[in-house]
Amino acid sequence: MAARTISFTLNGEAVSAEVANHHTILEVLRNEFALYGARESCGQGLCGCCTVIVNGTAVSGCLYLAAFADGAEVTTVEHLDADGRLDPVQEAFIEQGAFQCGFCTPGFILMTKQLLERHPDPDDDQIKHYLSGNLCRCAAYPEIIKAVKSAAKKRAVAR
Amino acid sequence: MTPFDLREPTSIKEALGLLNAEDSSVRPVGGGTALMLMMKAGVFRPTRLVSLRKVGGRFSGIKAAGDGSLTIGAMTPLAAIEHSAEVARAAPVITRTMPRLSNVRVRNVATIGGALAHGDPHMDLPPVLLALGATVTIVSPKGERSLAVEDLLTGYYETALAKDELIAEVHVPAQAGRRSAYLKFTAGSAEDWPAVGVAVSLEADRDTIRSATVVASAATSKATRLKSAEAALNGARLDDKALASAGEAGAQEAEVISDVRGSAPYKRELIRVHIGRAVRQAMATNGAH
Amino acid sequence: MATTTIPGGTIGSQIGRSLPRLEARDKVSGRAEYTHNLRLPGMLHGKIFRSTIAHGRIKSIDTSAAKKMPGVFGVYTAEDVRKVIPNPYYGPAFHDQPILAMDKVRFVGEPVAVVLAADPHAAEAAVQEITAEYEELPAVYDEIEALNSKVYVHDELKPAGTFADLKHLTGRKQTNVALDFKLRRGDVEKGFEKAAQVFEHTFRTQKVLHLAFEPFVSIGDAKRDAVTIYTSSQGPSFVRTEIARLLGLPENRVRIRVPYLGGGYGSKLYIKLEALVTALSLLARRPVKISLTMEECFYQITKHPCTFRIKSGVDKEGRIIARKCEVFWNGGAYADVGPRVTQKSGFTASGPYDIENVHVDSYALYTNVTPAGALRGFGIPQLVWSYESHTDMVARALKMDPVEFRRKNILKKGAAQATGTPVKHAPLEAILDRVASRLNWGKPFDKGTGPVKRGRGLAIAIKAVIAPTTSVAVLNVTADGSPILYCGTVDMGQGSDTAMAQIVGEVLNVPAESVRVVPRDTDVTPYDMGTLGSRSLFHMGHAVRIAAEECRAKIEALRKELGEPEGSNIPVADLFKKKYGMQAGNIVGSGTYKPDYIPPQPGTGLTTNVAPFWMVAGAGAEVEVDTETGKVIVTRLINVVDCGKPVNPKIVETQISGATLMQLGFTMFEKMHIDGGQVTNASLADYKIPGIMDVPAVMENEAIDTVQPNGPFGAKGVGETATFCCGPAIANAIDDACGVRITELPLNAEAVYRAIRAQQKTPLEDE
Repeated sequence: MAARTISFTLNGEAVSAEVANHHTILEVLRNEFALYGARESCGQGLCGCCTVIVNGTAVSGCLYLAAFADGAEVTTVEHLDADGRLDPVQEAFIEQGAFQCGFCTPGFILMTKQLLERHPDPDDDQIKHYLSGNLCRCAAYPEIIKAVKSAAKKRAVAR
Repeated sequence: MTPFDLREPTSIKEALGLLNAEDSSVRPVGGGTALMLMMKAGVFRPTRLVSLRKVGGRFSGIKAAGDGSLTIGAMTPLAAIEHSAEVARAAPVITRTMPRLSNVRVRNVATIGGALAHGDPHMDLPPVLLALGATVTIVSPKGERSLAVEDLLTGYYETALAKDELIAEVHVPAQAGRRSAYLKFTAGSAEDWPAVGVAVSLEADRDTIRSATVVASAATSKATRLKSAEAALNGARLDDKALASAGEAGAQEAEVISDVRGSAPYKRELIRVHIGRAVRQAMATNGAH
Repeated sequence: MATTTIPGGTIGSQIGRSLPRLEARDKVSGRAEYTHNLRLPGMLHGKIFRSTIAHGRIKSIDTSAAKKMPGVFGVYTAEDVRKVIPNPYYGPAFHDQPILAMDKVRFVGEPVAVVLAADPHAAEAAVQEITAEYEELPAVYDEIEALNSKVYVHDELKPAGTFADLKHLTGRKQTNVALDFKLRRGDVEKGFEKAAQVFEHTFRTQKVLHLAFEPFVSIGDAKRDAVTIYTSSQGPSFVRTEIARLLGLPENRVRIRVPYLGGGYGSKLYIKLEALVTALSLLARRPVKISLTMEECFYQITKHPCTFRIKSGVDKEGRIIARKCEVFWNGGAYADVGPRVTQKSGFTASGPYDIENVHVDSYALYTNVTPAGALRGFGIPQLVWSYESHTDMVARALKMDPVEFRRKNILKKGAAQATGTPVKHAPLEAILDRVASRLNWGKPFDKGTGPVKRGRGLAIAIKAVIAPTTSVAVLNVTADGSPILYCGTVDMGQGSDTAMAQIVGEVLNVPAESVRVVPRDTDVTPYDMGTLGSRSLFHMGHAVRIAAEECRAKIEALRKELGEPEGSNIPVADLFKKKYGMQAGNIVGSGTYKPDYIPPQPGTGLTTNVAPFWMVAGAGAEVEVDTETGKVIVTRLINVVDCGKPVNPKIVETQISGATLMQLGFTMFEKMHIDGGQVTNASLADYKIPGIMDVPAVMENEAIDTVQPNGPFGAKGVGETATFCCGPAIANAIDDACGVRITELPLNAEAVYRAIRAQQKTPLEDE
């Protein structure tokens, strides 16, 4: 009773998977597609480590049933350098040293991309509000704020 | 989590047919962000979830009427409300509340209907909607009924919804001339659940307060009107003395509970202070709410 | 020195380069390896059934219903574990912790049974079907109660035998004291008699959690005579030794593999899940993975809560002439590394002050709560919280300026610290001056108007690095000249791989980027005591330096042997080609480092060489206190540390700022709430940690310009340093703002509000 086949677009490719109703999108990405950039930490949608993009908006993969991804467009951090080049946000995170252990980093990077789509030139307040749902236990927050601003500049130059 | 049946009906009728008035292990699910937490913690083990995400129709969308009232489909994600120009015009306090409501990812998925149906006293939207005098339209196999948000919320994670009832729409009445504010106080980190939430909505006749609604949440078992605070405010001029007596009345009236976010006596003090601060903030908003 | 940039990095002057982490690209693209991500063919998942009571005898465990659940491979209890590990007790200081609870349970959350299944959801469902019956025993939770309680957490003490100062505790019964460290300098009672004034205060710290974002995870793949464990561990060498001991195997049959860690902060030391997955893998004859949920992390290891009674005698001139420190460490149900925290922190319990008469009693105590271990500071933040709050209270009582009072009493260069060890390369005065000057101390300060009051405060601290410890490194220069470094230091985010590569690069004059650092694997990476206590850069840094110097000498010898002229800059690859006729061979160097150390005398704790280096820190804080709610906003947070010469200034700055922000959480709001032994806020929803909105508006991080002459290239560790002073600097600032003194962490809004009400003589009622 509890299994179904879902078809969706994953990082630009049409895929399908057998999933159980109680499986989250996070589990399916890891177990069926060996994508580990989104990862479960707090398990409550609070830390942002499990961030994935569904139909263009960020969701907490650990709280999102895989069944609901049927027909959706799903993007993970692994897609950002699909052409072999890092995204400006990733470059900025490296240049500003905006992480230590790196466990939360893919989530911050995906959220930053979303932030910059909404606010291409964000101020501190916008950055803090947008990223307040991502936590970093190494507390690289000051560097993350710098990285977001630097990424905004890079994107502006690229345009 | 353990296995369960998952249905995705495409009509209200079909959805209602899948619910069960007698079985609490069958539940409707909106965005699912709150329900998933209970399932992952093992405190809720459903036999069937009925997802409302494909129901559509009156369950989705934001409509502003000519009189300034709003009708919001229950499955409307909070992010859509956050960025809605209609909402910002008709009830800007809702827009102002959003940036500090949970986080972006939750707002992208969670729905306004879910926020009300969950009955969690810590959520930010229920006290705001209550203060604005919002009502909900509830559908069930027996038909349709309308209920004030104030009457919908009955206790700690408890609502007046029967197990086979669904919230279809939320109505926010026209706010012309009213001014509103919502303040929350976090005891832990800045993005903690509130220890106390206070929502107020009132009319200002120059600096005289009229027709005030004062709601406390988070510290109480449900978002609750503090009628003695309202009484103290109505007809009073905005000054320290009036705010102090309204704060005092509200603090005395609120049935406050202790938890990891603070003791009951402390939260009572927070209500006292925040009633005055919320009223000042509401009065400071420009006449159009 | 001139530098040239070539593709792949810079040659020359690798020390002092703000090189991005070697693994940066893997981390930003989600591809860095963590144990969390690892799966082995045929692997089973284990889910743990835990004790619901704090203290009791196990009468029975019923696993029959769980065994019948769909998809369950097996259910195991301590009885099963004994079949493969007859004496299943482990621990670094005491062999007191059973792999699964045996006979007794000693804290809520203690592992009692495990379900194995191929599907973790099936295992999780089956755990719900396990029941256990206990004969409940009285429990003791508080460290002061535990000292004299008739409730004993353990029937008999079982020291591991590795530490000389624990031997006398062997077989001791009817006690909860797992170590009593004593330091005696001068005559403290005579000092108090001579003192013009005596001050005594008691301070407390709360139970908090490391909360690394990669929750505890280990995979055991055990065969009869060889075991491989993949684990998120800060100490692979210790894990190997301890697993080998438990199994009765030589060390070379136990292999520990550690990729990157998603955070550690001291939690992932010694044995955590490694013994359990090993036992289960032996029983199941399959690889077994246990990956804790965040909630379960609250039942694994925490920081030590602590009660500190501190008494100071001060003479007429404001000189502290006697100080008595009684420190009680709440170690929880199993000792873990608590006795080491108790002793090592005890060396500096009297603070960075020159005091003639010092008396320290430091006690490790067993209680019926989650065990406590090291958390980014090895006990020092708890001590500094107390002695630097006390310092300000005394200064205020004496009507002396807190900075002047500190200057008067501070340990001057070369003076003997409480243990008798002279303080060298510990620029305390310079740090105090820098903090005071950044705070504009002595200049007017806006104290706020209306209900919001403003204040500022500071604190200074010293730590003796843990000694004696050993690190070993091997460097292999391959046939094309590219170096491979084998070292057991675990990169858990502190950037050690990058720093070690910079040291290799500096010695061999190659870009640090060209150095490959092998992920920790005890089959190939040599011994290291552990990645803890900010010891790695100094100890492993030296080992790596020595290994690289050996390689350099061998390259030089090869050059000579091949008749190349002195000073020739022929590439290493060409030397090999010349020697072997093709691209072949390699040059291997190794380094071992263990600093000098003189153990403290039993009974007095005195020694003239307690540690190879000192860590010193200062912090300043400016706060706004909303006196109507008690809410404190830290508007400015200054940290000044001494880390010797920074190997990688960018990473040093991130360490300073990250450490102090973590401590800001412990200072302002983090707290495990415990009711009847039960943690009532075991989740990130209810146990809040600092987020981006909690970062002070102004943060200033400074590493003062010094070198550590006996450190590798003048460097020393910095991972913990900026945790020391944050708490007392803020408490002192709160006192400055509104005249209230909080003596117990956290400084949350309710605590501050209650203090304000008490000061106004209208105390807020209790619950």
